[in-house]
Amino acid sequence: MHCAAKKRVVKSEDAFTIKTWQSHGNIELEGPKSAGSLTTRPTKPTNFRKFYERGDFPIALEHDTKGNKIAWKVEIEKLDYHHYLPLFYDGLCETVHPYEFFARQGVHDMHEHGGSKILPVIPQLIIPIKNALNTRNRQVVCTTLKILQNLVCSADMIGEALVPYYRQILPMLNLFKNNNLNSGDGIDYSQQKRENIGDLIQETLEHFERQGGEDAFINIKYMVPTYESCMLN
Amino acid sequence: MSSAEILKPKSMVRPKHWSEEVENAYRFQLAGYRDVTEYKAIHNVEDCERWPDSGFVKKLKRKEDGYFYYYNRTRECQDKDINKTKMYSY
Repeated sequence: MHCAAKKRVVKSEDAFTIKTWQSHGNIELEGPKSAGSLTTRPTKPTNFRKFYERGDFPIALEHDTKGNKIAWKVEIEKLDYHHYLPLFYDGLCETVHPYEFFARQGVHDMHEHGGSKILPVIPQLIIPIKNALNTRNRQVVCTTLKILQNLVCSADMIGEALVPYYRQILPMLNLFKNNNLNSGDGIDYSQQKRENIGDLIQETLEHFERQGGEDAFINIKYMVPTYESCMLN
Repeated sequence: MSSAEILKPKSMVRPKHWSEEVENAYRFQLAGYRDVTEYKAIHNVEDCERWPDSGFVKKLKRKEDGYFYYYNRTRECQDKDINKTKMYSY
């Protein structure tokens, strides 16, 4: 009578531990834990925020700007781009108002009116761009991608000047490249709002290829192997 | 300043549709001016800075504090702002 089958309790444990080794296969193994490669990283307070709060930027600190504009106290053409442009780029990591708005709009205005003054500053922009992309925060990555698209089109030779820095910028684009919503027949509203990271990355890489000269494609392909040329095909 | 006081508009209409004139009027009114006539009179200039391709206003000095507003080369006046813009005639 005692031979009635005992109910076997199956425990689950992590793989490659002493317990699983001693259990001789009586334990169910759990799958590997998520590495978290796409999870948002915490950001440190930026220099942009410090400078903004200290009132060091030549912009009017009004929070109710009409028509989403910045009122510049000094003409943009007279600004020292080596000093201010990297600082505004540093603010791209910000996600809260007003820092996020002023950083984004400041970069936009400086691109639009910088002309030839942007090119010499490119090397100083790489670290802030890399930091912004490394946050892996969806909102920050979207903004940074749009700004990168705007940057390569803002003046001549900028696309070419960015090619040596693909190694710093593109790994994060490679990581998120397939980050698309598979909604089947449904509507993905992020497409309409230009917040779909996969699409934005594709657009950005195409901008890089078009503006980056003859070496651009092979360098993009090296960092993002799944990218297919938009010009050769 | 005196010439701006002399040139008073005779009438004003609210536009129904977007046009280049509406776009420029919107840009001037964002900076606190009635239109280009007032801007020219106050700053004593021939014309304001414009984008070469579209002819849209590029840069204006704000009326209240003299700070600068920079405008895009493309359309900024959205549909919801069209009927808030005022078109003056002299």
